Formats: sequence, structure tokens, C-alpha cells
Amino acid sequence: MNPPNPAAVEEAPAETPPPRRPSLRLPRDRHALVDNFFRFQSLFGLVAVFLIAIAVSPVRNGENIFLSSGNLANIVRAVSEIGIIAVGMTFVILIGGIDLSVGAVLGLAAVGSATLMVDSGMGILPTVLIVLLIGTAFGATQGAIVARIGIQSFIVTLAGLQAARGIARMWSGGLGIPIAYGDGPKEAPEAFSLLSGSINGVLPVPAVLFIAIGVGALLVLRSTAFARHVYAIGGNEKAARLSGVPVRRVRITVFAISGLLAALAGIIHAGQLNQGSPNDGSGYELDAIAAVVIGGTSLAGGSGSMGGTIAGALLLGILNNILALNNIDANVQLVVKGLVIVAAAALQKLRPRIS
Amino acid sequence: MTERPLVRMTGIGKRFGGVQACRDIDLTIAAGEVHALLGENGAGKSTLINILSGVITDYDGTIEVDGRPVSFGGPVDAQRAGIATIHQELDLVAGLSIAENMFLGREPRTRLGGVDIRRMRRQAAEHLRTLGADLDPRRLVGSLRVGEQQLVEIGRALSLDARVLIMDEPTAALADAEVERLFATITELRRAGVGIVYISHRMAEIEVVADRVTVLRNGGLAGTVDPKTASRDEIIQLMVGRSVDALFGEGRNEPGEVLLDVRGLAVLPRRPMPGRTEPAGVDLTVRTGEIVGLAGLMGAGRTELLETLFGAGGAGRRTGQVTIDGRPYHPRGPRAALARGVAFVPEDRRGAGLMLEHSVAENVVLSALSTLTTLGVVRRQAVRRTVAEQLTTLAVKAASPAVAAATLSGGNQQKVVFAKQLLTRPRLLLLDEPTRGVDIGAKAEIYRLLHRLADTGMAILLASSELPELLSLCDRVVVLHRGRTVATLPRASATQQAILAAANGDDAKETR
Repeated sequence: MNPPNPAAVEEAPAETPPPRRPSLRLPRDRHALVDNFFRFQSLFGLVAVFLIAIAVSPVRNGENIFLSSGNLANIVRAVSEIGIIAVGMTFVILIGGIDLSVGAVLGLAAVGSATLMVDSGMGILPTVLIVLLIGTAFGATQGAIVARIGIQSFIVTLAGLQAARGIARMWSGGLGIPIAYGDGPKEAPEAFSLLSGSINGVLPVPAVLFIAIGVGALLVLRSTAFARHVYAIGGNEKAARLSGVPVRRVRITVFAISGLLAALAGIIHAGQLNQGSPNDGSGYELDAIAAVVIGGTSLAGGSGSMGGTIAGALLLGILNNILALNNIDANVQLVVKGLVIVAAAALQKLRPRIS
Repeated sequence: MTERPLVRMTGIGKRFGGVQACRDIDLTIAAGEVHALLGENGAGKSTLINILSGVITDYDGTIEVDGRPVSFGGPVDAQRAGIATIHQELDLVAGLSIAENMFLGREPRTRLGGVDIRRMRRQAAEHLRTLGADLDPRRLVGSLRVGEQQLVEIGRALSLDARVLIMDEPTAALADAEVERLFATITELRRAGVGIVYISHRMAEIEVVADRVTVLRNGGLAGTVDPKTASRDEIIQLMVGRSVDALFGEGRNEPGEVLLDVRGLAVLPRRPMPGRTEPAGVDLTVRTGEIVGLAGLMGAGRTELLETLFGAGGAGRRTGQVTIDGRPYHPRGPRAALARGVAFVPEDRRGAGLMLEHSVAENVVLSALSTLTTLGVVRRQAVRRTVAEQLTTLAVKAASPAVAAATLSGGNQQKVVFAKQLLTRPRLLLLDEPTRGVDIGAKAEIYRLLHRLADTGMAILLASSELPELLSLCDRVVVLHRGRTVATLPRASATQQAILAAANGDDAKETR
């Protein structure tokens, strides 16, 4: 059984090959060709943007700057926080919801990480656990309000956004809290700075975390009963309920996952910038939603894929990177990003509907 | 019939991709005639109607209106030519009044350019009077019953000077009294010289209302007959292409022990909803191997009772006793009901039964996922096997289990909902209008399936508005009136008259 709209990246993990494996080889007829194009739309988009980036990249000493391993690693590092948030957002959007609080939860988590280590002198493990717990609880609470009282998630998480920002400001006193490393008081353990480092000097740690979480979520979405429930609720909530799907529990779980991943992104954020500020992550929710939409997941819920979201996040990263490499004004970058989002959504509209 | 028909369609054909939906169909509609269009789902009725009403604009063949060839560029052209359509799903805006709906998009204006509300109301009232409907044009359409809304649609068609009226299953959502009024309206329209194309699955209605019957089969013309002279069997044979003798099975097993026992069940809703009749004193029993029918007028509370028994009703305080196998049964939700072996096939299969955009396979296994997973991971092989088995057992016609449920015909969609619920291995099956909108062939298959399930010892409680269905299928019929059990009629004494009398609350006697 395939998810309704699996992207090609989902086919990567080794497994006994399913008989009706979606194939990128020459399709039999035009319908299949069209269908495959739309199924793997975000992947095609990613490849296209990648090729364009190679073509327009500045070249120094005969080396394509875009293609240099340092630059490619930087791209993945740059999108890792948004990417991790977008993974959680994909679950939420698949059930037909939206989570606007993730940017604020990221800020709260960054502040929490800094405060707990610097002010309270906690070790890394307790800090990380507490911060992740806060994020999860925050998300679960929002999910419970959505599921129990039946308020739209847009409104609940809009309120959550305000609340999380407020809590973060109260906690930090409104200022950014710098993280200094060392063994003394008011210093964080040295190991926390690993988050801004790289494995073997090549693979940035945040990028590794993003890829690991992305692949993990992709497997979950592909083959678990939980995922089938998520798709079912997004496809037709009433029918899902009458079919015995535990709608409330799945709802709450999905928002909890989103809160958990936003908190994780906040910890990474603090580690990368060596500080936690209550304003961190402003507007990240919109970038995350953009990545999900570019990935082909329907805002109406019920159809979409994790592979698409990962491709969408990478596509946005490459776009930002190549525009910056060519010294294009940051404001122009925003406009281009807007155009890409509209183009992705328009392509979804063109997709042939089932009769 | 008049000398020249209002509409003459000649050699109509239409192809969708590889599917020939219509082929070489001739159809005429005369003034003042009711021309019934019959056929199983997928026979080409909808395509033909969509061509006539201008929805489909590229097709083979010709259409003449008043002897002049026409070619419609869209539905508006068809309306201008006097052809109006009343769809099964009514095109009304619930938040606007009757008058506003009738004149939507062409409101009469005052000299200053504002809407002339008074004139609009007056004209709306006139049209309603023509239809014999006693409705205030200021009322919101959302507050009307379905039958009344239909009258508003017909009124709108009249205000457009429609001379051909296409009615697509107009009685599907109507109670019996409303059906009678609709027929009275049709008689009026016929007298006024309107030609009516009437689509329905219900043979009894067609015999009453139609002057001519055209039967389509597999996209082609199967024949045109006069319902006054042709027998029901002949017509069915034309539709199905073979004779259907064993449509209604016979020879039932002896029922076993009492499985479901309901005593004085009543629900006091926390938030009463208009249009809902919660159970208000229901007594009934269902034994294993027994099919019990639930009869009652629209609004008698049949659906609400089934929902309550499935744990899917509205929140509220419940009184009375419900037991399954003698043990108390008060499900907190559908999940709890399924866990006790109770399954439910809802009336609105598109809205409440299926994920239309998801694949047939995904729909079939949804309720039984827990039996097909290891540590939360779905066993693909097991799913594939189970789905294949279920689709074969129920004879679901689908191109493949991977196609979207929306691509299936109504009957096959219904079978998918059945397959999904049966996979949970229920002991009690609750069915709400299981054959609504299902063609006659699929209907027969569903009847056979229900008999087979009952023979295996399943208890079945079935709500239906089609009395012949209840009479032929059920061992007993329980009649509800305003949420209360007013009669329990064993098969031997259940007649249409007895059920109707009880359903109307005329005679609240307990026959047991």
C-alpha cells in the first residue's frame, strides 16, 4: 500500500521491492507520464533548481563554487532547522491542520536551553530533555484544545504563538542570553558547541540531525498504522471516526510531534548561534509551511508525502544559496521565494483530478 | 404526444478516454410528458443529461430544440433555451432566503440600482403558489426540509421559463408525504406543457409518474417502453440485460439467541440540534442470524438510533438499558463499539463512509489496521492479500485496489464500505439505507450478501425508507415514530399499510 502521493525519495530506503513500485523509467502512456511528473513534482523541481544553480554559479579558479563540498554542506546546515520544523508541520498539515506556533516554540526552546545551562548550571542531557519535554507538552496542549474543544488549529496555534513568545520573553527578561563555554559558573558545557560543528569537518551536525529525522519520519509515514490514521483523518475525518480511528489521540500526537521537533530545532539554534533569544525563529513557521507546500502536500489534508517536504526544504535552501552567491539582494530573494511557492501550488492545481 | 417534440436528441455519443460513455442514443422529449430515464449506474444517464444541460459541450450527434439544431456552449446556453436541471445535490445557498435563492444572479432592480426586494418576494410567492407550496419567501433556505428546498429549485426553474425540466433522482431524499406533493407538482407542470426528464432507481415511482420509459444499458439504448403496458420484470430485464428472478432471496434460517437488547433507550442531547430526533423510548431486540428492519418517516429518528448504538451520536445523557449478549453496552465512541463487535455502514457513504481520494485498498483496511500490523508497522503482504480477498468476496468492480475510491460507481463504493466494516468481524451490523443510490444489479448483490451474513449468524439491524426492501429482506420490522418504537411487526403481519399506519403514528399498537 502506497501513501497517496509518495515522492521518489521515499523509494530510497532498501526494502524488499514492492511489486507496484512507482517507476521513473519510461512510463507506458502519456497519462502515466503526466501522473508521475505530478507525483514527483517536488523532486523534479529540486533537480531543476539544482541544475540551474550549477549553471549560474560563479566559478573561481575553475571550481564551481556552488558545487564545492563546503557550500553544499552549508546549504543543508542552513535549511536544517526549517527542515526539522517542516517535518513536524507535514504531519499537522496532513490531518488538515496548521501549526503557527513552531517559530515561537523554537524561540522558547532556545531561551530554555541557554537559561538552563548558563543560569541554572544544568548539564546537557537534563537541559535537552527538559526543553524537548516543554516543546512536546506545548504542542500536545494545543492539540488537546483542537481535538477536545474543536477550535480550528489556525486559531489555537496563533494563540500558542503569542503565548510561547510571551513565556520566552518573561523567562529571558526580554534579552538574548549568550552562551559561554567552560567549566565555571554561568558557563555551558563545552560539548554543547558541537551543535555548530561538523563530523569529520565535512558533515554539519544539524544537517545530519535533519537528514536522520527526515528519513525516520519518512519511514513512519510510509509504513505505520499511525500514518494511515493521519491520512485518513485528513481525507475524511467523519469517516475516519466511524471507522474506529482514534481521532483525538492521533490529533494530539501530531501536534505533540510538531512541538517536539520545534523544540529540537530551538536547541540546535541555540547551539549554532551560541545564544538563546526570545525572538529567535520569528517567521520560521511560514518557511516551514512553504517547504511543505512546495513538497506537494495539500493544505486540505489527506494527501502528501514526507519526501516532498524534505525536497521542498532543500529546494528553498538551494534557492537562497544561489541567489546569495550571485550577490542578489535579500529582498529580491524574498520575491523569488514567493514566486516559487505560487508556482508549486499552481502545479498542484494542474494535476489531473480523479473523475 | 404532440406532433413536434420539444427536444430531439439524435445519435448522441460521447467518449471519455478509453471509455465509451454514450453511443448512438436517440431521445425525444414532448411537451407535457414525463419521460423516465432508467439504467444502472454507469449506463450513461449522467453523461446524456450533462450533454442536454450543456455541461458537456463536445459530443457526437445533434440536439434540436423546437426543431432547430442547437449547440450549447455551457449550462447558461441550455437554460436560455429553456432546459433547466434539478440536481440530486441541490444548488441552493443555505444562508439566503427563498426569494433571494430564486433570483440569485438576476435580482430585480430598483431605479437606484438596489435590489427590489418587494418585487422579488412577490414574484417568488407567485411561483411558490403555482407549485402549491405554502412557504414564506422570506424564510432562509437552510431552515427548509429537503422536499421544500426542491420546490424552491423547481420554482427557480419556472421563473426561468423552463420548458424542459431534468430531475435527477428527485425523491432520493424525500419522505413519502413529500413524494406525493412532488408528484402533484409534476402533474401541474405537465398540464402547463413542461416536458420532464425523470431519473430514478425506484420502479414503483416510475410506474406512477412516467408516460414513457427509456432504458440505457452500457452507454447504449436498450429500449423505450410504455410503463402502462410493460411489466416491471420486462423493464428490469432491459436494464440488466438478463432476467433477475432471485432479486429478493427467500428461505431464512431460524434466528438464534438474543444478541442486542434495547429497553427504553432515550437520549437527552446536551445541545439539541434542529432536524435531529434522538431516541425517545426505543425497544427492540435483534437475534443472531436475524435481519431486523427499522422503518419510519423522515425524521422518525432511525439514523439517530443507529448512531447512538454505534457510539457516534451527539453528546447527551442516556437512559434505558442496552445489552449485547446480556452484558451492558454503552459505547463511548465508534472504537469502543467496534471492539464489542458492532459495525456501522452509514447512510452518507461519500461524506461519512469513504476517503474518496484515497485508494480502494486504503479504505478497505482502515478499520482493521490493528490486525494487520506488527509493532505499529503495516504488513504490506497481509494487507494486499486481505484486500484482494475482500474485493473478490464482495465482487467489487475496481480497475485495481490502487485506484481512488471516487472512481468507483455508487454500488461498488458501497461494497467497499461493507468490506471495510466486515473486516472487523462484527457480530452486529448496523446499516443505514444500504442501497440508497445503488443500481438494481448491485442492490440484488447486497441483498444476497446480507442473507449470507445472516446465515453465518450475524445479527443485522437495517434502516430503510423503501418499504418493499424492508418487507422482503427482514424477519421483523420495528417502526419508529418521533424517536419511539410504535410497532414491532413480524414478517407474517408486516404489510406496507401496517408499516405506514404505524409510522404516521395512527395506531401505536404493539404487535408481537
